[in-house]
Amino acid sequence: MLATLTLAGNVEVKLGQICSNKKKTKRKQQNGKTTKILKEGRKPKPERIEEGGLPTNQPTTQNTKTPVSKMKRANRGGDESGTGTHRQNGVSGGKGGARGAVAERGDAATGGDDDEAGCSPADMQDEDNDPARRREIRSKYRDLINSVQQNREDMLSPTNNKLTDVLEEANKLFAEVRQAREAALDAQLLVLATDLGKEKASQLHAEGSAFDPAAFAEHLLSFMGLNRLEEEDEDVEGGASGGYLPQDAWQRVANRTQCCFRTAPSFHYMMGSFLVELPPPRQRVERQRKVPGKEAKRIMPTQLKRMEESHQEATEKEVERILGYLRSYFFDDPTSPISYYEFVIDPTSFSRSVENIFHTSFLVRDGLAKMYLDNHKLPCIAPVEEGEVEAGGATNRQQCVISISPKSWKELIEAFDITEPLIQAPSTQHTE
Amino acid sequence: MSQRKRAANTQSSQNKGVRTQRWEAVLGDDEDDPTFTQPSTSQVQKGLDRLTPAQVDLKTAEVVQFIFVKDQKKFPIRRADIVKHVVKEYRNIYPEIIKRVGRVFETVFGLKLVEIDSKNHVYILINKLEQLEGESVNMNPSNPKTGLLFVILSIVFMKGGVVKESMVWNTLKKLRVDQGERHEIFGDVKKLLTDEFVRQRYLEYVRIPHTEPLEFEFRWGQRADMEVSKVKLLEFIGQLHEQDPQSWTQQYRDATAPPAAPAVVTSANTSASVSQR
Repeated sequence: MLATLTLAGNVEVKLGQICSNKKKTKRKQQNGKTTKILKEGRKPKPERIEEGGLPTNQPTTQNTKTPVSKMKRANRGGDESGTGTHRQNGVSGGKGGARGAVAERGDAATGGDDDEAGCSPADMQDEDNDPARRREIRSKYRDLINSVQQNREDMLSPTNNKLTDVLEEANKLFAEVRQAREAALDAQLLVLATDLGKEKASQLHAEGSAFDPAAFAEHLLSFMGLNRLEEEDEDVEGGASGGYLPQDAWQRVANRTQCCFRTAPSFHYMMGSFLVELPPPRQRVERQRKVPGKEAKRIMPTQLKRMEESHQEATEKEVERILGYLRSYFFDDPTSPISYYEFVIDPTSFSRSVENIFHTSFLVRDGLAKMYLDNHKLPCIAPVEEGEVEAGGATNRQQCVISISPKSWKELIEAFDITEPLIQAPSTQHTE
Repeated sequence: MSQRKRAANTQSSQNKGVRTQRWEAVLGDDEDDPTFTQPSTSQVQKGLDRLTPAQVDLKTAEVVQFIFVKDQKKFPIRRADIVKHVVKEYRNIYPEIIKRVGRVFETVFGLKLVEIDSKNHVYILINKLEQLEGESVNMNPSNPKTGLLFVILSIVFMKGGVVKESMVWNTLKKLRVDQGERHEIFGDVKKLLTDEFVRQRYLEYVRIPHTEPLEFEFRWGQRADMEVSKVKLLEFIGQLHEQDPQSWTQQYRDATAPPAAPAVVTSANTSASVSQR
């Protein structure tokens, strides 16, 4: 952890140096070179050796192209290898742990190690400049960066050391870095790693018991009144416990925890608010619609009533009139039966006969008259005395349908020798 | 009351030409507050001298009512709105008015008017009095959103004050609240947390730098800091876990630490005081 934290501070140092490498002069380079410069020193530069006493068997990191003068070459070399050297400065100057290995290696080299004695500057230049190699390095860096970003949660877990592994990988890659571009990628990776490191550190609990949100959730569910079912399928989404959460679950929590809040009560009118504007337009519309409706309705009933009255009155009057005739005839001679056909048929008019039959049927229906067959099996009609049979009596009710045609009407007239109608025609006119 | 305000507005817009011209000359453009500078005490005194006490009292009462209505949704109230809609031509005595308003809230209603942002001049209303457990439930049935808010605040607090968004969602999921689905009580939960609660200053939704893809974290908002009693919160959590609240030593220390003094608008200071937090 400490290593990563100190790394964080030095990222800016590194970046700053990379950016300003163009401005660095050879002198600055030389100042920092005593134990820190790994790859400095160019064979064709005796001045440097004079000034700093650097061993000449250091591999060069420069990409000098056209040396104009020794000083100039040195400068340019300084510029271009500045990335490497200055970075080394920053690296070995500031880094504690992780990069210490590299610095140490560098230090060992500056201490006069003969490892790379046999390399020629030409070879070194090519290697530093090799675009394929650089591409490879950059691609590896990007892989590392991606892996850190994608597996952030994983790396944060305190159970593993993946973060350290990543840093070690980066270390190894860094050893081959020569130029600003790769170094910038390295810096980016370092920023990510240090962020992660900071988060990991914050996860450490120095004292007191840890707080587990999952357990908290479980306790809350119990408080909310979760009805845990004892079924096999407890596998609800998110791994929560199965069961039925009551409707007022959250209300319960709110009621219990309300006291923790010092909220100002919300302002509202005690009797609600009174809006004056909307109602009138609505009423106007309704009234307009209602008015024509009522008038129209009023017209209809009066007409209908009159019509119905006329019809009903006519029928009822007729029926009563016929009842009157029937009774009077019967009263005249209670013993002799009244032949039905003689009673209803009007020899002068067929339609009137039909009407008589129609009206008579009402009498029979209402139980005011009865029809029976006499000894000769001819129908007779007689009024029913009051109290004899109930009007609505269900027993002894029979029905028959009587039909008559003009032809049979004439036959009846002949057969019964009907000369005049027993039911007088009414004085009022009615439609036939 | 809303009708009266509307009437007042129309009146003032008619008079605007006459009256506000004078003040504009003194204080600059009054359109939307950016140039509303706090008048000095001498200016305030001069302004007070020109007005009758009844006028000042009336203005104070209007501001009190305005703040009450604005507070219904619990969104902070901007000074600009107060000045533009209510104070208007009395803006030169604004500090005095707001001082009196604060006093009215405290003495009459038991509420505190707090300036939570001294740069943008934004106020909230909180209760001076503590609610007793269980008593106010009958009088004041609570909103289930309070329960949800409490859960989130608890998680953030117990985790040290900052929590990644993903942790909150994971925990809520266990409580059957999913940001992807429409909840039958809370509706669009993500909007509720990241928009409504943030606007009400109960939560802060802050972007974590250097993350790719974008990640956010939740913190306590300014209103939560003032309104929520951490001790009671910890008590309840202790009850749930059947643990002594003091077993979480770090959080207990946070809860019992003396609170930072907020910029309460009282008669002891004017609203020009800088927040001490």
